[in-house]
Amino acid sequence: MSFTITCPVCGKRDLGEFRFGNENQGPGKDQSQLSHGEYMDQEIMHRTKPGVQEEWWCHDSGCGTWFTVFRNTLTGRETNEKGVEI
Amino acid sequence: MTRLPQSDTQKIDRNSSLSFTWQGRSFEGLAGDSVASALYASGIRIFGRSLKYHRPRGLYSLDGESANTLVNINGQCNVRSETTLLESGVRVKAQNYRGSVEKDQFSFLNLLDGFMPAGFFYRSLHKPYSLWPLASKFIRKMAGTGVLDTSDNWEDKKFTEIYPNADVCVIGGGPAGMKAALAAADCGLRVILLEIRSWLGGNYDWRVRRYEGESLHLRAQKLSSLVEAHKNIWIFRQTAVIDLSGSNQVTAFQTGSRDTAYDQRYIHVRPKSVVVATGAIERPMIFEQNELPGIMQVGCAWRLARTYGIMPGKRAVFCVGDDLGLEAANDLSNLGLDVKTIADLRTEGHDPELVRAIEKKGIPFLTGTIALSARGRKQISSVTFSSIDGSNPQTLECDLLVASAGLTPVTGPLNAAGAKMKFDEHTCFFLPESMPPKVHAAGRIMGMNDPVVLENQGRLAGLRAATDAGADISDFDLEALQAKITRPAKGNKIAFSSKLGMGRKSFVCFDEDGTVKSVRQSMDQGFDKPELIKRFGGFGLGPGQSGIPGHNLPLVMSDLEKYSSQNISPTNIRSPLVPILMGTVNGHGHILKKYTPMKDPQTTADTEFIRTGSWMRANRFSDDLDCVKEVRAVRNNAAIMDVSTLGKFKIFGPDSLKALQRVYISDMGRVVPDRLKYSAMLNTSGALVDDGVVTKTGENEYYLTTSSAWASQAESWIRYHTRFENLDFHMVNLTDTLAAINLAGPRSREVLNKITDDDISDSVLPYMGYKEIQLGDMVQARVLRVGFLGELSYELHFPASYGSAIWERLLTAGAGYDIQPIGLEAQNICRMEKGHIIIGLETEQNTNLLDLGLGFLWDQNDETNQKTGSPALGFSQKKNGRTKLVGLEINPNDGIPGDGAIVYQDNTIMGHVCTVRNSITLDKVLAMALVKEPLAVKGKTIHIYQNEGQGEKRFTATVVPMPFYDPQGLRLKDKGEA
Repeated sequence: MSFTITCPVCGKRDLGEFRFGNENQGPGKDQSQLSHGEYMDQEIMHRTKPGVQEEWWCHDSGCGTWFTVFRNTLTGRETNEKGVEI
Repeated sequence: MTRLPQSDTQKIDRNSSLSFTWQGRSFEGLAGDSVASALYASGIRIFGRSLKYHRPRGLYSLDGESANTLVNINGQCNVRSETTLLESGVRVKAQNYRGSVEKDQFSFLNLLDGFMPAGFFYRSLHKPYSLWPLASKFIRKMAGTGVLDTSDNWEDKKFTEIYPNADVCVIGGGPAGMKAALAAADCGLRVILLEIRSWLGGNYDWRVRRYEGESLHLRAQKLSSLVEAHKNIWIFRQTAVIDLSGSNQVTAFQTGSRDTAYDQRYIHVRPKSVVVATGAIERPMIFEQNELPGIMQVGCAWRLARTYGIMPGKRAVFCVGDDLGLEAANDLSNLGLDVKTIADLRTEGHDPELVRAIEKKGIPFLTGTIALSARGRKQISSVTFSSIDGSNPQTLECDLLVASAGLTPVTGPLNAAGAKMKFDEHTCFFLPESMPPKVHAAGRIMGMNDPVVLENQGRLAGLRAATDAGADISDFDLEALQAKITRPAKGNKIAFSSKLGMGRKSFVCFDEDGTVKSVRQSMDQGFDKPELIKRFGGFGLGPGQSGIPGHNLPLVMSDLEKYSSQNISPTNIRSPLVPILMGTVNGHGHILKKYTPMKDPQTTADTEFIRTGSWMRANRFSDDLDCVKEVRAVRNNAAIMDVSTLGKFKIFGPDSLKALQRVYISDMGRVVPDRLKYSAMLNTSGALVDDGVVTKTGENEYYLTTSSAWASQAESWIRYHTRFENLDFHMVNLTDTLAAINLAGPRSREVLNKITDDDISDSVLPYMGYKEIQLGDMVQARVLRVGFLGELSYELHFPASYGSAIWERLLTAGAGYDIQPIGLEAQNICRMEKGHIIIGLETEQNTNLLDLGLGFLWDQNDETNQKTGSPALGFSQKKNGRTKLVGLEINPNDGIPGDGAIVYQDNTIMGHVCTVRNSITLDKVLAMALVKEPLAVKGKTIHIYQNEGQGEKRFTATVVPMPFYDPQGLRLKDKGEA
């Protein structure tokens, strides 16, 4: 599978230039309050949703920025917030 | 063989003959010939032997869709002779035979099909299992195609890759493709056109039939000169598309010649939109012995004559299924071929003009007639045909049977892009039901066959692709163009005559000798989908990639099962759509190989450089595996080591401390100027990912080092773990900007004093101190007094361009102190003696900070509770049974195990030895090992097992405290005389 990702700095570029940073689950809770299970859920259990999800990507071979994009995991392609392919 | 008279459809140059050898004998071909056409012109009919039954196989199509014509060229096996241009002096050999290809000693296998039912190797050869090695040895000898020549010098081949930019990519340079390319290019877009043959024109190329007053081949020439002249179109000929994937990524490879800078080059295009106009190939007619040499497809016989000027046979019979077949028979008859009979599957729908021309010539023309069987040993001698239901059989002698059931669209790129294919009742093709976004298809791939329609549809697809690529096409009347695209002719889905019988030698798949009988057998085993039978019986898994059987297999199944057309489903076609050389995929070979600035002064006859990641580093400066001289220099005198590969970073800005607090496990608030703090980065599981030192170099400004392997990731790691807060800090990667030398040994202070006037005494620069000094008259350097090797030592960081100069100055300054350059191996011994870890050697994926005995680094009172990995350490503290790092002393009588040897107890693996070395300094064999907790007790006896191909070896060892060397750290903290 191959697709493109739109970097906020460099624009639409090839997948190979990016590094995946998992789905966006928000900043996470206060670490000191988490039980073992909750911590594992937060750090390891991803929803891996079939469909549109917000993900972190890093333009590793480019400007180095971390940013989020929406992507349909069923088609692989980048979408807008509403799930429409862009 | 003499060629036909000159004609302007031909692609050969009669004045330039090329000599080549076939099976060691010399032959002549013409420039412009493919290897296959040159062989055929030389009278060669058997090109090779089939995979399973060793049946003779010859020229069948001309586009390399089956394994029939795979040959060995200049030692490279499985080359498609049909699509490979002949070059002078090539050595061509047949494949898969014993003795001679004409008289193959394995040809008796042809009679043994009863013993080799579909899937026989899955079903019969696994019981008893002990038989399998023997059976596989025999099968490998008898079956298969080419044999890989491992002595072949692959370096001779030139592979490159290009990534051209385009708005629209058109796949296929036939009439539809050319029209699409022109339409998009006229909108001002950049167009790339990929064509598999070495010329444009598609099916027009050799057809002399007139449409609207113009011969098709002249029309092709006119269109291709328009395309060639267009400044917006970039044409790639001899280019096979291997994949069309998500977001319009087109990958292909182009075959070069002796005149190009490459033998094959990889092409990667990511256009905004794609037009697929790959056209169609022929669907084989299925009858007994339908692949004997002398039987070929319509296009093959036709193009042999029209493109290469070769008369394909003397007495010909045509068994065809569409108007193209009639057109070919008529044209070949005009060229002088003795056409005995033309049989057509269809009972209606013939082009009356063609029928009239045939009847005028007096050629017997039979409708509703299909071939039943062919006879002949090495070549066809006669054919029997009958009505579809098997009535009125008659036999005719011939040496050429042109057989084809009709066309089948080349839908590979659409399939790969995710289009859903559905059987179309009218054309009897698998046509796309839905298209992937920004992908358009036009031409024969959509079932079209009328030239006017082909061109209009191509133009329409080109305009639609142009819209997708952002062009304004409001001037064009797309609806009017759409209206001109009329319905294609009705097709047929007849697979074979109902009197075919068992179909023992009626081949559906030529590559893997899959017959109608083996389809039956697979269905008897309960496989009811083409996709399953494809795998079980082996249909379309060969180099042809479903070209030959892809359409016929579902039709045969539907015929055998008598199910309706709705249930006919195609097999999937996957990339690579055309087999590609691994060398082409590899391209230039992008192995990054970096040397440090001190490469030159380190290079001597005895220096051994080894690869560590992308770096080449000095490992040893002599051939002594124990590096005695180097280790002694560290322990007794002075040594220098090139550590330029260390990650070196400056981080500054108001939030830099927050960023450091997030990723380092220690309290980085305690980092002060002029002092180094050793700490570690953990991942969220608490596992160690990096260690290094940090110092403060100014207000909100820090300097830090990372391990060599982490240098490329450190910045993105820090940015990732601070991604939710918009922290205000900047990071500068100084890894390549600064060179670094570790000057170590008890006399290193004296050496350093010789090249600096600055005060480096212990009171100013104590252990874990940091200072910026001037190195002689040369340059400023950062001095980090660290002690990785367990001795007084100074790590000097300075601009990379001074690398060699300072290295040499240190050697000169240290000459009186027996200074010695050391490499990675000596470093490894010294740091191991000191109990210092290297991440990746003494750690595994899940080795956490506590397992390594580095818990003192962990700031448990962190108030922000935001340190990465801190909670995981808390949880793991309460767990038993983890794997811990321990020091081992190996029983001196047992020898020395290798790194990675297994630690066991009662036949259970309890861990492994990470690093083990013969310590010259301590005169012991010492090791660091990761072992399960019950064994990680001081004084415990450890058992080690190793079997590295030299037999089993066992060792015993005792757990001893670390560090082994200088446990109090007195040598690191050496205060000097003053």
